Amino acid sequence: MTMDPAASLAIKVQGVTKSFLGQRVLDDVDFEVARGEVHGLVGKNGAGKSTFMKILSGAQPPDSGEIVVGGKAFKALNPIEGRAAGIAIVYQNPELHLDLSVAANIFLGAEPRKGFGIIDDRAMESRATELLARLGLSLPVRTRLGELDIAERQQVAIAKAVREQAHVLLLDEPTAALNKAQADFLFRLIRDLAKQGMAIVYVSHHLDEVLSISDRITILRNGRKVAVVDGRSSDKDGLISMIVGRSLDAVEPQREARASGAPFLNLAGVSREGRLDDVSLSVNKGEIVGLTGLVGGGANALAAVIAGLDHRQVSGSMTLGGEAYAPRAVRESIGRGVLFIPEDMRGRGLVMSLSIAKNISLAALKSLASMGWLNLGKETSVATEMAERLDLNPRAPSREVRFLSGGNQRKALLGRAIFADGQLFVLEEPTQGVDVESQRQIHDHLRLLASKGATVIFVSTDLEELIALADRILVLRGGRIEQELSPDGLDPEHLLAAIQTQSTRSVN
Amino acid sequence: MTSPAATVTQPTASKPNFVRSLGLGRFTLLIVLLLIVVVTAIGNPRFLSINNLLNILFQVSTLGIVAAGQTILLITAGLDLSVGAALSVAGLATALTVMSTGSLALGIGAGVASGIVIGAVNGMLIATNRATPFIITLGTMTLLQGIAILMSGGSPINGAGALFNVFGMGDFLRVPWPVYAMLLSIVAVFLVLRFTTLGRYAFAIGGNEEAARLSGIPVRRIKIALYALNGLFVGIAGVILTGILNSGLPSMGTGYELRAIAAVVIGGTPLIGGRGTVWGTLGGVLLLGLVSNSMNLLGVGANFQSAVLGLIITAAVLLQKKA
Repeated sequence: MTMDPAASLAIKVQGVTKSFLGQRVLDDVDFEVARGEVHGLVGKNGAGKSTFMKILSGAQPPDSGEIVVGGKAFKALNPIEGRAAGIAIVYQNPELHLDLSVAANIFLGAEPRKGFGIIDDRAMESRATELLARLGLSLPVRTRLGELDIAERQQVAIAKAVREQAHVLLLDEPTAALNKAQADFLFRLIRDLAKQGMAIVYVSHHLDEVLSISDRITILRNGRKVAVVDGRSSDKDGLISMIVGRSLDAVEPQREARASGAPFLNLAGVSREGRLDDVSLSVNKGEIVGLTGLVGGGANALAAVIAGLDHRQVSGSMTLGGEAYAPRAVRESIGRGVLFIPEDMRGRGLVMSLSIAKNISLAALKSLASMGWLNLGKETSVATEMAERLDLNPRAPSREVRFLSGGNQRKALLGRAIFADGQLFVLEEPTQGVDVESQRQIHDHLRLLASKGATVIFVSTDLEELIALADRILVLRGGRIEQELSPDGLDPEHLLAAIQTQSTRSVN
Repeated sequence: MTSPAATVTQPTASKPNFVRSLGLGRFTLLIVLLLIVVVTAIGNPRFLSINNLLNILFQVSTLGIVAAGQTILLITAGLDLSVGAALSVAGLATALTVMSTGSLALGIGAGVASGIVIGAVNGMLIATNRATPFIITLGTMTLLQGIAILMSGGSPINGAGALFNVFGMGDFLRVPWPVYAMLLSIVAVFLVLRFTTLGRYAFAIGGNEEAARLSGIPVRRIKIALYALNGLFVGIAGVILTGILNSGLPSMGTGYELRAIAAVVIGGTPLIGGRGTVWGTLGGVLLLGLVSNSMNLLGVGANFQSAVLGLIITAAVLLQKKA
């Protein structure tokens, strides 16, 4: 499509820069979307997509740069200003009120009144019906939102955005939880909205979808805008090579061949209702296995089952070290030497109000106690030793973990798992949000653990990480292991192409 | 499409916090305590007499025991509103048992045991339900108040004279026995929190329950144990208060829950859990005791006392260092 003059721009972003903890996540990004345009935004994990979306929606202020929307220039938006300027964001799990009706959700904060502040339900419902009909949606306006499925909730969120007279709609991974029919319906809705003049920013890992729906596509890599391409005339391979880029600074050392030991973990026909479908897998002592795939493909679900986090509705059998392994609780798997390190450090990993030492000792506190009484001196010395081993900075075991950088927080979590005498480490995104130096260190520690006979299984969406760290890469899709790849000689583009291979959902 | 008028005002940064700008930090409580002592001592020299100071300690002793237990629960990001009513039940159990069996030991056992059982039941309800501790213990509080009334038949249960001789009248080196009991409770809670796995688990659960679970901590069992431990302190306070009052009353524990929680929060343990000290709680208990006592000595009318106490509690909480 040809660019119209600036007057037709719905939103224009100039020179947006943002850093976290000294790490630059967005670097001088320019971005613009015309009225009536569907604009795809793609990039690897960590490329800066989600930060950029947060800045567009006003959830975070940029360090510098400018956002021009609705004819006004902003140094930073807050969410209220963003909404007032006509920007609406719909997440994959829309932020709506489950106990309110569809109509009440659409009109939340702008309910028609009868006077005396009383809400005019009938007017609200008829206006909601009218609005939904105009969008080609058939949703019962009086139904409680909680009774609708994810796709329908998303439609309500979009209707709400239209009601708010949004003229820029940000969609963040909108199809992650949808089936094909639901996704197709969403694409039709998106096209209709665009025809009516709405500017749509479409963020997704599903490149096929992005290509088919977008007029133009902006590619982010390492916080920089790499290119803006025409959606109609681009193909997936071209997109993949721009997303991956040529990494000239290959900091990771070559993988060294490790003597792989005897089989340690064995899965036979493991299924998990709705998440995993007949997975069989054997992992040896000393082996590092990378799991990957698109969101919902099953990599995280498999890690959760192996780590003993998810045991209901699981069928099939597992053995660990030759003995049956069917953990019913996390502490059973820890007892068997299986240690899980979650991606969400703050929410699920660390106890922020406690010190480094107390976080490291947490999963094996009993080894520091006799009759329930702790040996605090031993705890301090163990933690100091672990901090040195992991290059944890600062090496002050009494320091609260909340003061540590992301990289050091991840090391503290790894320290906890090592101290708990882990034989099998199950990690999710082990280096997400971590600086390059810490990433290299964490990879080195995992290799060292493997070389000493431990087994490592990690879930990652970071292509370079998968290739550098794993001995074997398993691509999951639809809850099945779809492909097994050797990282030797594998380049990131092929890996991304393997992840992107669409068998379960194709776009018209 | 036209956009509604958008104002270009910048969002204000965090409001300047006058309180924080005072920079008193962790010593706030100590400074407030000293201020009260100085003002009262100037207004009434009798305030600083040994007898009066011992009297203050005596008056806050049962509150101190209950607050010591409550500290553990707030650290787990929980709380127990039923402690006042449970204290009444424990006191009545003591008085009734002594009255009917004549055995002091059985009476003390009944009081302490009922406290532990009530605590364990609260813990089980909290550990196995989604409802918050606030709502669950609000329910058990009302239930226990009803049970206390049924137990007493609406009138005081007398006849625990031997208990009265110890806790109401007895002392050692001029210090009343209940004061020793309070200090022992505080020290016990300190030891549990700092030196035992149970105490550490309390901090971990309060700081991040999911992280605690993923670290293999049996969160439910630990919660039940901690609520039962809190119940132990409530039971002890019930026995002692029965001695002090020389009888069991269905209303003897009324108001303990809120004063205990106030003391813990004044002492710097946040309601969101994950951190806190029992020494802070002791400070909070002393603050409450000192304020009541100084108001009496300064001749503040009874009608004003509750309002003044409320003001001071609010001020003390606002002055706390932000976590």
